[in-house]
Amino acid sequence: MSAALRQLIIDWLDDNYHFGEAARLITSDDQSFLKGGILDSLGFVQLILHLEKTFRIKINRKELSPKNFDSLAKIITYVTSHPQYRGPA
Amino acid sequence: MSVPLSPLYTPPPEVVARSQMTAFTRFCEQATGRRFDDYAALHAFSIEELRTFWALYLEWSQLGVGGSRDPVCVGDDIEKARFFPATELSYVDSLLDPRWGDKRPALTACSEERAPVRLSRAELRAQVLAVAGGLRALGVGPGDRVVAVAANRAESVLACLASAALGATWSSAAPDLGTGPLTDRFRPLEPALLFAHSSYIYQGAARSIADRLVELSAALPSLRALVALDAEPPPAPGRIRVTIADLLAHAPITPPRFPFNHPLFILFSSGTTGAPKCIVHGAGGTLVEHTKEHRLHGDLGPDDKLLFQTSCGWMMWNWQLSALASGTEIVLYDGSVSYPEPDTLLRVVERERVTVLGTSPAYLQYCRDAGIVPREHFDLSRLRALQSTGSILRDDLFVWVRDQVGPIPVQSISGGTDIIGCFLLGNPNLPVWPGELQCKSLGLDVRALRDPSLPGPAGELVCARPFPSCPLGLYDDAEGQRFHEAYFAQNPGFWTHGDFLELCASGGARIHGRSDGVLNIRGIRIGPAEIYRALAAGVPEVAEAMAIEQTAPAEPGGSRLVLLVLLRPGPPLDRALTLRIKKELAQRCSLAHVPAVVAEVHDLPTTHSGKRSERAARDLLNGRRLANRAALRNPESLDALAQHPALSPLPEPG
Repeated sequence: MSAALRQLIIDWLDDNYHFGEAARLITSDDQSFLKGGILDSLGFVQLILHLEKTFRIKINRKELSPKNFDSLAKIITYVTSHPQYRGPA
Repeated sequence: MSVPLSPLYTPPPEVVARSQMTAFTRFCEQATGRRFDDYAALHAFSIEELRTFWALYLEWSQLGVGGSRDPVCVGDDIEKARFFPATELSYVDSLLDPRWGDKRPALTACSEERAPVRLSRAELRAQVLAVAGGLRALGVGPGDRVVAVAANRAESVLACLASAALGATWSSAAPDLGTGPLTDRFRPLEPALLFAHSSYIYQGAARSIADRLVELSAALPSLRALVALDAEPPPAPGRIRVTIADLLAHAPITPPRFPFNHPLFILFSSGTTGAPKCIVHGAGGTLVEHTKEHRLHGDLGPDDKLLFQTSCGWMMWNWQLSALASGTEIVLYDGSVSYPEPDTLLRVVERERVTVLGTSPAYLQYCRDAGIVPREHFDLSRLRALQSTGSILRDDLFVWVRDQVGPIPVQSISGGTDIIGCFLLGNPNLPVWPGELQCKSLGLDVRALRDPSLPGPAGELVCARPFPSCPLGLYDDAEGQRFHEAYFAQNPGFWTHGDFLELCASGGARIHGRSDGVLNIRGIRIGPAEIYRALAAGVPEVAEAMAIEQTAPAEPGGSRLVLLVLLRPGPPLDRALTLRIKKELAQRCSLAHVPAVVAEVHDLPTTHSGKRSERAARDLLNGRRLANRAALRNPESLDALAQHPALSPLPEPG
């Protein structure tokens, strides 16, 4: 499931910011999105809204920090361990 | 729509008592011997007796002008009228007037990565006039066009004001714009000089634009000199290359006065066809309109600090600059508003003790969606008003500001590049109703021309009488034909702005979006013609395209860009081509030009005369009743659009 989630995030980055270059720009699943210029905070909010809609989960805005969302690995861990997570809606 | 029972904000009596709007109203009453019991009465006077109104405003404002103040306005035809043809002024002298106090702060330039640059009014004046001396030594003089690719920094202000001090005409663009749109804008102006930052910082990373500057300067054969706003000017064979630091070493000039209608700024408005319009604005019209908006509608004065979230490519940059003429300190911010922290912009507002923050619906929506609660996280006790422009501020965001920022007025303001000012504004003396712009601008006869065949309360936003910030015309349009076609041909005798307007019972107003094909995506105005040119140059598979703005409340700014593409014979649209279309638009234009949705169609709505009908597609995609389906020779193209899987579900026709 995490492979599908990983691809979903890459696709979203391509659709909105990197247009086919996301997989090349992200050199590892632990790479920082902020420091790597992959996404800014405005983009993070859009990504969070997309994940909420896709997985029908509600993300607590107090948890909206780089600690939870600043890399592919962190996002996958956060989403798949979310109590409301049941896979794609 | 339900009508709220009470306003979101009502100004306390003491605010009304000491506002400049109140002082000016009393001044007009004394001068005319009449009573203006409410704002409606003052506004009616300002348009019915526009000559008296503008003469009184010029007197009350104490803007330093010379020559004769008579006549106030020559002609009654809105297209041809000219204000104050015998008056002379220096825009720069008015902005840097020592009467506000030399030691007072004039400008604070903040950015992502470096400590703020602070200049007092005396320092700013000295530096502007020294740079002007340097420009004069380079041969820049009245009427020369000076263009800039500039970040929102202190040195950009110096460059602009120094150019204006010499009577040169300034035109700027933000550094994230692609070479194509930059060339489209600047080449027709035949500029004498280019100011440029060779890189800019966004999200902690320096992004070089040196290559683009080389291409741009090669495309501008009229350039005599390049001035770097940072370290070094790009290579440009045969041209003088200096830095702004070199110019600062020159002896200051004494800024001369120029006629009221001397060209000051050229702004760009990209439409549905052709190259962007180069709109020429006069120094006097800009100055009186901006100071009127700042002092009367915004109540800005020498105790204020104004931060407007803008770039050098948007008219709000010029608008903010003029606040210096009201003694107000301007606070610039360059970089990402959400880096290094999600709430970086609000940190700047708190640290700099900003009193009036100008922003956009897209930013407010971002704060809401990110769970940022300004009143809990920041001391915003100095913030006394929040202004918003760029796109429609919906009712729920007015309520969000009251609940999450504080009990301050939310002033949604609307106008545009075309008039370098606003038709609808705030008013310190009036309540704020959710979703409404507070009032019509003084001196502007704003009306909503309704088409009885169309449903709904909104009509075409027009202005019915002459106003000082009407453009002098379009550049390189000596007969005024393109100017006429752009603004006056649609409704003879009126300025037609291109917005749908509803006038409300409260005296306020609502904007209902564009009435023409111009796109406004996340508050950035985009001409479809720029998209079509980029596709023609970069994506040969696309035979034809149609760019449509579609209402999408969940998106920042409340709408999204939909691109309909008609492909040449070959494979159908797939993901790879979709991404390539997006990439070409991002690189050749900007990120704002990238569509949220690319949809392949096999036909585009077309009239019987063979003209593509963006309007029919726009109405369909936005759930509006079609004005005239019979006018199309292929109405079935709309049925196909309505069924298109990439576009569903469409809103129900209203």
